[in-house]
Amino acid sequence: MSYITAVNLKYRYPHTDRLALNGLTFSIEKGEFIGIIGRNGAGKSTLCSALIGLVPQFYKGAYGGKLLLEDTDLSITPTARLCSRIGLVFQNPFNQLSGAKDTVYEEISFGLQNLGIPRDEIHRRVEETMKLLDISEFRDRNPFDLSGGQMQRVALAGVLVMQPEVLLLDEPTSQLDPQGSEEVFHAVDKLTESGITIIMVEQKMEKLADYCDRILLLDDGKIVDFDTPQKIFSRPDLKEHGICPPVITKLFEDWQIQMENGLYPVTLKEALSLKKQIPSDFQKSIYQNQSHLPYSEYTVSFRIEDLFFYYQKGTPVIENLSLTLDTRPTAIIGQNGAGKTTLVKLLKGLLKPVSGSIYYKKEDISGKTVAMIAGQIGYVFQNPDDQIFKYTVLDEVMYGPLNIGMNKEAAKAHALAAIRLVQLDGKEQKNPYDLELSDRKMVSIASILAMDTDVIILDEPTIAQDFEGRNIIRSIIETLVSQGKSVLSILHDMNFVADCFSRVIIMVHGKVLADGTPEEVFEKTKLLKQAKLEAPQKIQLCRLLE
Amino acid sequence: MKNLFKTKFNTACIVLIPTCIGINYLGKLIASTLKLPLWLDCIGTCIGAILGGPLIGAICGAANNLIYGFTTGDNITLIYALTSLGIGLAVGIMARLSFMKKTSGALLTAVVGGLTAVVISTPLNILFWGGTTGNIWGDALFATTQASGFPVWLGSFLDELVVDVPDKVLTLLIVFAIVKFLPNKLVSLYTSDDTIEKLD
Amino acid sequence: MKSISLYVANNSYLTKLHPFTKLLYIAAAVSIPLLSGRLWMFCTWIGVSLIILTSGKLLRKTFPLIAFSFTILLTIFLIHGLFHTGNTTVIFSIGPLHFYKEGVLYSAKIGLNILNMLLSFAVFILSTKPSEFVEELEKKGFSPRFGYIINSVFQIIPQMIGTMHTIADAQRSRGTETEGSLFTRAKALIPLISPVIAGSLINTRERAIALEVRGFGSGIKRTYLTDHPKSKVDILCRLILYAAILIAVCWRITLCLI
Ligand SMILES: Nc1ncnc2c1ncn2[C@@H]1O[C@H](COP(=O)(O)OP(=O)(O)OP(=O)(O)O)[C@@H](O)[C@H]1O
Ligand SMILES: Nc1ncnc2c1ncn2[C@@H]1O[C@H](COP(=O)(O)OP(=O)(O)OP(=O)(O)O)[C@@H](O)[C@H]1O
Ligand SMILES: [Mg+2]
Ligand SMILES: [Mg+2]
Repeated sequence: MSYITAVNLKYRYPHTDRLALNGLTFSIEKGEFIGIIGRNGAGKSTLCSALIGLVPQFYKGAYGGKLLLEDTDLSITPTARLCSRIGLVFQNPFNQLSGAKDTVYEEISFGLQNLGIPRDEIHRRVEETMKLLDISEFRDRNPFDLSGGQMQRVALAGVLVMQPEVLLLDEPTSQLDPQGSEEVFHAVDKLTESGITIIMVEQKMEKLADYCDRILLLDDGKIVDFDTPQKIFSRPDLKEHGICPPVITKLFEDWQIQMENGLYPVTLKEALSLKKQIPSDFQKSIYQNQSHLPYSEYTVSFRIEDLFFYYQKGTPVIENLSLTLDTRPTAIIGQNGAGKTTLVKLLKGLLKPVSGSIYYKKEDISGKTVAMIAGQIGYVFQNPDDQIFKYTVLDEVMYGPLNIGMNKEAAKAHALAAIRLVQLDGKEQKNPYDLELSDRKMVSIASILAMDTDVIILDEPTIAQDFEGRNIIRSIIETLVSQGKSVLSILHDMNFVADCFSRVIIMVHGKVLADGTPEEVFEKTKLLKQAKLEAPQKIQLCRLLE
Repeated sequence: MKNLFKTKFNTACIVLIPTCIGINYLGKLIASTLKLPLWLDCIGTCIGAILGGPLIGAICGAANNLIYGFTTGDNITLIYALTSLGIGLAVGIMARLSFMKKTSGALLTAVVGGLTAVVISTPLNILFWGGTTGNIWGDALFATTQASGFPVWLGSFLDELVVDVPDKVLTLLIVFAIVKFLPNKLVSLYTSDDTIEKLD
Repeated sequence: MKSISLYVANNSYLTKLHPFTKLLYIAAAVSIPLLSGRLWMFCTWIGVSLIILTSGKLLRKTFPLIAFSFTILLTIFLIHGLFHTGNTTVIFSIGPLHFYKEGVLYSAKIGLNILNMLLSFAVFILSTKPSEFVEELEKKGFSPRFGYIINSVFQIIPQMIGTMHTIADAQRSRGTETEGSLFTRAKALIPLISPVIAGSLINTRERAIALEVRGFGSGIKRTYLTDHPKSKVDILCRLILYAAILIAVCWRITLCLI
């Protein structure tokens, strides 16, 4: 018998009439690293919940089939008992803290205390895990005061520290900087050597290709395929299931360069093994294919002079920052806690500089209230739940336009257009809180688009989005740019940055480390390393081929 | 009516209680910032009672006063734990009897909750503070009744009545508006029955 | 995030006393004057509490608490001094207002009782970290579920106030004016309440899951990260307090018997 077995697993949430899991049959062996992929709503998170007994015990609803971990029936063993063997880190990092502990250290030890682990053991394990995830310096901070990525690390630590036999990770690196997510993949991969089974939901196909033994492809609650990364990513029908293969696989598919077994390479290493077959104009075409437009004419929007900011005296977050921003589509990248979110909040006027000044179109914004500049600068929050407060999608999206003085008809027209742009049509009358995280993020984007501002600031817009969602965001950015608006976005997805933006700014510790076109910036290997970043895979490949 | 007091003590309900206590605090904070002559300090208790049932409501209410009494130095609230408990219980029962479906039902619930509060608070007021409540409008009324020679219990009763009933009416209208718009995913967590349908 | 707890971490001897010793102090300070029924006993205990608070460097933090209940003390004094039902002997008058001896005495008793309770609670509240108190309760068999509720209240309130600021930020970002006159701010407050409340309720769902997957309610005996053994001082204090309560009870009984 296998380690984990599912036989004809079916599940339906209460008050819905669609099966979220529809007849899954599969088995997983001990120590495997399994990836789960699929479009938004495919049932990935539901499967994770089933594997830890939350489905059906917490959510109720309708359940059928069998799901076993060795001999344990996962559908009837209480989650609180299962959790010593199975750990789950879930999708939204902002909501998985215990809410009863006031330091990071205590938060991480919470699970161990519940399981009655001896005290010395707790201290040892917590120290170890904090070191592994690079959060030791925050041990005495309140977990709610951390940046998005730091919070996700704490959430991950809280489960890793319990050392379960099976780790379920639902998009555990969505807000981490590239090196941070590489470190997480590397760390959990090492765990498989000691017999721990990893099951990870991810949208980062490149990483899954690097680390997974097998990948489970889900669509509409059903298994499409469950096989090695090479086989999965070489499938011709991936697009129909809402999946975009790793950049490398796509390149080799375009050039029809196959490996001996007739499949396409999925990792850099495999690609390099085909070096001999790669034609000479391969690299050149990659560079030429950079889609972003060359900008010769642009106007300055923001001018920042000697900006200085801290939340708590003594720990500056932004230091002596001087920068001009313009109408070129600009991406801000950098490690977790670098101060990216803080910087854009300062631009928006939500935070006030401790010293220094910010000019928007030659006007000092410090003298104006946020509401006064609302019609000019739009800002989409990192966490969509921070900005949703109406009870239907349409009301939510209309709120801004009404406030900045549009009349009802105009506001509605703008709102409907924005909803169409983010492809949420048909969901206008839904309660935003009944939507999934990916859709809520889209609602928050639409609510800013509807205000038709000159500047749009997006804080990590690609969180929780599948391939289609990213394409929607890409086309939104293109539309905005063609309308002459300035788009400023914070991102951790380097491939997306390289494809969509003409200017890239790297931030570390509240300072600007590099600033230029994607090609210029991603050339600087040493700086990238310092900022905990990685070059996009295309550029990595080219560099390796040289 | 066996279901009237049926309560789930699962994690979801445990988590609901501190949230409701937090909501109480927020209501009180807002009432005092806006200098309203009302308390608005049991919005959370009522929500807890409606979602979790009368017993959860009662626990929310009692725990609310005990926690604040023992931690924020406001030990005057301590003795009113009984009142809050009563409000939670009363509103919970009314909600289980399906009164919170319409505005008129909500108003009736408010009156029932308000009267419960008055009936429990009056003896406490007399026992501990000789009949005053600490609310300016109510106490002014109390002073007038005492000056014109009414018995203490009647004066104190009226004192509570003029404060509590309007307070509960506004509270339950707010609660009604909020609960009506809560997403289904959340409400079904508390209201759906425990059975898991079989799909085999 | 600003905590709502009044605990002052000043490392004085009071913070090092066991929480239960301080609880016993409250019990003694509240019950003994009530048992004796004498006004001077209230005054004595108020004095004792003030001395303890001063020695624990907490006196300055006590004043806001007293100020807070000052209005209620004043109303009680006014209403009863002027209108108490048993009023017969006038002791002093201010203009047309006549204050009576019976009413003033009655309100003094209530007022001193309130003040006494307030100060003895202050000893406990200002010098005890809530989470530590909860932990000690749990070690004595108090349900961890209730322990969670208490600890969580302390986290949730600052968090909700934080959410309120974030949502206010989001509303400002979309053009709601929240700065300016009192009226502007008050007007902005109302559309804030319902999303903050709804949002915090919605969070409970994910929080419940977060607790489940971290073994909350597993029924296993919890481990605590710290010990707080009773010290010799604790034991001595408790003995004295128990003795004082005992004497007061005996005195009361003899009074009744005679
Ligand atoms: N609590 C719930 N109640 C009702 N329906 C739900 C609930 N949670 C999820 N669903 C529905 O179940 C289906 C599968 O959702 P699930 O969250 O598992 O998808 P997913 O693959 O994890 O998507 P994503 O990539 O957005 O995380 C979706 O149609 C979703 O709307
Ligand atoms: N409300 C707050 N109070 C105190 N410190 C804060 C607060 N918000 C953020 N910080 C700290 O300020 C620093 C910068 O945070 P910021 O949110 O700007 O980072 P970021 O670059 O957006 O990171 P991420 O990629 O993880 O979102 C971090 O060290 C963070 O811990
Ligand atoms: Mg999901
Ligand atoms: Mg950020």
